[in-house]
Amino acid sequence: METQSTGPGQDSLFLPSFCDVRVVFAVVLIGELIAMVIVLAQTPYQGLWDDLAVVSLFVQWVGLASSAVLCLARPWLVRLGDLPVALFSYALIVLVTGALTGVVHLWVLGGEVMHWGFLARNVTISAIIGAVALRYFYVQRQWKRNLESEAQARIQALQSRIRPHFLFNSMNTIASLTRSQPELAERAVEDLADLFRVSLSDARVPVTLERELQICRQYLEIESLRLGSRLHTEWAVNPLTGEAALPALSLQPLVENAIYHGIEPATSGGVLRIATDMDGDSRVAVSIRNAVPRDGTNSPRQGNGMAQANVRERMQAFFGGQARFETGVEDEEYWVSLVFPYRSHTA
Amino acid sequence: MRILVVDDEPPARRRLVTLLGDIAVGEVAGEAENGAEALQMMADSMPDVLLLDIRMPGMDGLEVARHLAGFEDPPAVIFTTAYDVHALAAFETQAVDYLLKPIRRERLKAALDKAVRLTRAQLDGLRNKQARARTHISATLHRKLHLVPVDEVRFFQADQKYVSVGYRDGLVLIEEPLKALEEEFQDRFVRVHRNALVAVRYVESLERDARDRYAVRLKDIAEPLEVSRRLLTAVRKRLKGQ
Repeated sequence: METQSTGPGQDSLFLPSFCDVRVVFAVVLIGELIAMVIVLAQTPYQGLWDDLAVVSLFVQWVGLASSAVLCLARPWLVRLGDLPVALFSYALIVLVTGALTGVVHLWVLGGEVMHWGFLARNVTISAIIGAVALRYFYVQRQWKRNLESEAQARIQALQSRIRPHFLFNSMNTIASLTRSQPELAERAVEDLADLFRVSLSDARVPVTLERELQICRQYLEIESLRLGSRLHTEWAVNPLTGEAALPALSLQPLVENAIYHGIEPATSGGVLRIATDMDGDSRVAVSIRNAVPRDGTNSPRQGNGMAQANVRERMQAFFGGQARFETGVEDEEYWVSLVFPYRSHTA
Repeated sequence: MRILVVDDEPPARRRLVTLLGDIAVGEVAGEAENGAEALQMMADSMPDVLLLDIRMPGMDGLEVARHLAGFEDPPAVIFTTAYDVHALAAFETQAVDYLLKPIRRERLKAALDKAVRLTRAQLDGLRNKQARARTHISATLHRKLHLVPVDEVRFFQADQKYVSVGYRDGLVLIEEPLKALEEEFQDRFVRVHRNALVAVRYVESLERDARDRYAVRLKDIAEPLEVSRRLLTAVRKRLKGQ
């Protein structure tokens, strides 16, 4: 029996690694418990300990032989989907049981004719236990995944909100304006406060598209103080879309991306276009476009796609998979497009 | 003390100028809104210290510092930044002075009091951390700084002590090893000969003469550059790959 210790379950396979010593130990332990149940369930039993020894031996054979095959087949199994893996392991357990029953019957017990009842009994028991075990492994993996993705979503939600760079630059802008143009500084503080209020509020509560666009405007207000003539913004808002509901802060991170990747790195700045419209009667389309910087920039800024992934995820969760999120480059413009069902916020 | 303020954001420059007025250390020699402009202003404004923003469009602060290192009498440099995690880590290890925005008056004064030139070792340390290729090549021509955007460069050709940099409007000489240039700009240049690198995007054709020698013809450059036999396969592959 090969027993190498590998980390359990690093890959996507829902079965634990049967090459792991700990898993093999668990198999032995569970096999022993099953053997006990089988022996205790027999009525009437002749010799408890003799029966237990024989049944244990048999169950351990089945358990360890199946584990060994699963261990060796693992590199091949990881490339398959859940269903083929489940079918393979299930068939394996049943086949190993059947084969070992034959071996025991013909060689150990010295029976000349195959006892079909004995075979059927063993195979049925192993089929039931195999099904329960596979189901257990599957559910456990799902549960673990849910836990991980929830944790990840929470971290992403926090990180994608406001870039630290934006915060400190805004503070610097305000410090500068406080003396030269106190009224502007005052407005910048108000805008910044609004932005943080939204980002600290519960992201699951939906807002109207109009409100979300207002947040974007306040954000751009602050950025335009900082970037001066480098930032040009063009709006094309269809008033019919104003009442559409969407998760809070689903557009602002995309606008922030456009500034960070499109406007800021270009010496001469660029144009940012935000447009909303109805797509048919029941869908809303929002697009954000920015010029792709060319002049004097060597390497475009590498984003980690965090903001986009986060927005996409939240839109999908909110609209139950009915939202469409697309990006692309066209005529030296980078565009992000969101299309989602119109749901009135007041309804 | 003459101070040059370099930052792409108008409010950030204004604030630094105001603070410099408050602490009354030295005078503002000028304001530049990006790296290239700062370098071009060097000759006229003759600053002793640069207050240099790191993150700027086009040429960033770290690249400015690298070009300054080639000057005969380089000014001292104090970096300014709002939030640059990676750059900050490099600064701490290299003991380079930097100021975090919004900058405090006292910190600015203290930094100016002890402002010193960056050493070669410090610059190398920063460069390693920020493995970003320069956007410009700087050369001194008739005692005047000349900046050539790397995007405009057609070829680098080594000749004894110097490397000539060919671009649309002519040639400048720099003193940098070809090997280092090759490494830095490997994504855009390909070595065609022991002594030459050419910009892949400006290659118009690969030609063979009657004596079976190969040469590349570059856009806006009259004379083709020889391709060595040894590198021919690699050059072909690279030209095809674009």
